[in-house]
Amino acid sequence: MSIAYLGLESLRQLKNVRNTVFTFVVPLVMLLLFGSIYGASGQVDPSTGLPWIVVTTVQMAGYGGMMAALGQAFTIVTERSVGWNRQLRLTPLSGMGYLISKVVAALAVALVSIVALIVISVIVFHASLSPAGWAMAALGLWLGVIPFAFIAVLIGQFAKPQFAQPLFMVIFLGMAILGGLWVPLSVMPSWMTNIAQVVPSYWLNRLGQMGAHLSGDVMEPALVLLAWTVVLGAFIVWRYRRDAARQ
Amino acid sequence: MGGVNTTPATVARAAQRSRPAAIRLTGLSKTFGPLTAVDGIDLSIQPGEVVALLGPNGAGKSTTIDLVLGLATPTAGEAELFGGTPRAAIETGRVGAMLQGGALLPTMTVAQSVALIAAAHRHPLSVQEALERAKCTEIAKQKVSKLSGGQMQRARFAVAIVSNPDLLILDEPTAAMDVEARRTFWQSMQEFTDAGRTVVFATHYLDEADAYADRIVMMSAGRVVADGTPGEVKAVVSGRRIRASFDFAWSAEIEAELYELPGVRSVDHRGDVLTVVSDDSDAALRTLLSRYDHLHDIEVTAHSMDDAFLALTQARSDEPYRQNSTALIGDRS
Repeated sequence: MSIAYLGLESLRQLKNVRNTVFTFVVPLVMLLLFGSIYGASGQVDPSTGLPWIVVTTVQMAGYGGMMAALGQAFTIVTERSVGWNRQLRLTPLSGMGYLISKVVAALAVALVSIVALIVISVIVFHASLSPAGWAMAALGLWLGVIPFAFIAVLIGQFAKPQFAQPLFMVIFLGMAILGGLWVPLSVMPSWMTNIAQVVPSYWLNRLGQMGAHLSGDVMEPALVLLAWTVVLGAFIVWRYRRDAARQ
Repeated sequence: MGGVNTTPATVARAAQRSRPAAIRLTGLSKTFGPLTAVDGIDLSIQPGEVVALLGPNGAGKSTTIDLVLGLATPTAGEAELFGGTPRAAIETGRVGAMLQGGALLPTMTVAQSVALIAAAHRHPLSVQEALERAKCTEIAKQKVSKLSGGQMQRARFAVAIVSNPDLLILDEPTAAMDVEARRTFWQSMQEFTDAGRTVVFATHYLDEADAYADRIVMMSAGRVVADGTPGEVKAVVSGRRIRASFDFAWSAEIEAELYELPGVRSVDHRGDVLTVVSDDSDAALRTLLSRYDHLHDIEVTAHSMDDAFLALTQARSDEPYRQNSTALIGDRS
């Protein structure tokens, strides 16, 4: 697996303007909207002990990172339908290497989205947190995005071009709502909070909050996200083997 | 020349003999459910050969190419490249290919496409060199979605050669090209292969096979029905055709006499024009002229590649003819 290829491929995905607009503008608008509502008044969220604006920023950065990672599904579906991956199969890049390059690219675009949203929040709303707090929040969110990079690859492997869009919508809407990325779970009924415990987007958000807090028990989120990653990874490998055997 | 001991020439020849074939197919078959796309192909292509793969649609050319490149796994038999697996040859960058349905991404420029594929290879040419060799320098900055048919094929050629391959496989490379674009394309292909690279190209254009290949492999219904030089393949449709006008009255005796001419395959007449097809048209013509004074408007024509193509690909339903034709060309593997 060539590092040069990984770098070039990730850079290419970063420069993909359409994806960037799609994955970045929506969380940005929501951040600006919620930011001015919950505002810079410095109120503290009782459940997390963090200022409201920080909670909102983590929420939207998580949402942006998740969208950016999931958006890679479209890249894979398009490349498959055009026949680009046939061209790639004539290079030393293996089929698994191709999928790994997509996970890496998904994580790269997610990181850019997360960092950009945090930076904008700090500049616009003067959201105050220690640099270490922001760094750990970004890191927590980034690690939490890993299962979504895998989900993107899985959609890319399974979906026909015409089904990729609806499938993407269902998954990201479900994840955003159940995980409390749009509306804080504290205002939701309690049964939703219970469901949220097994949803990766909930733990994505929690990891970000823990990072911002520079404290918290990371064991539980780590186990839930690891479980998702292992299950999704197993599906990807299974599908890949089946595709290879069918040729 | 003719040294008894080891001269450089004999050493070179020995080296050539011990070098593994660029492509070796043994009993290669591929079935899709009830459909047999490739039906037991045995073929060996030596380094440096330029081979045209001819055949009507559905003859199994593209499936054969997929099997050669390891993009599909054979139902039976084996495909070897340079004495190893297709994958091993691809990983060392020894194989480049232009495939049907292997397109470039519309959002990238030509140069970006070449650079991305180059990055995946271990010892690629520089992007600049690949673009120059494929005559893509002036379209390097253009988006793939804005390219014309001919430009698109040139861009795909640049992608195919960027690994600096020893073996190039081109599946209908000049489809969707106009005459001028086709000529430019073959010119760059020839420049690239002057250094002794092996090329296999599938095509519908018989004149391309005739002009650019030094060996033609003709496929029909998943089998190889002819294998030889362009001249040999054309000769399959039995020699040359002699046509002449005559003044005498046609009779069974004259027809029998004409059948005695050297190398004759068929004798025919229509009105006052006779047609003799002969494998040895020179000798047949000499005898013909010496015996019959009053022949005039004499024409001797070679069969075209189209004649050979039609005869060979239609001959499958006519088993004796098929055996006859393969026997004529002989076994080159």
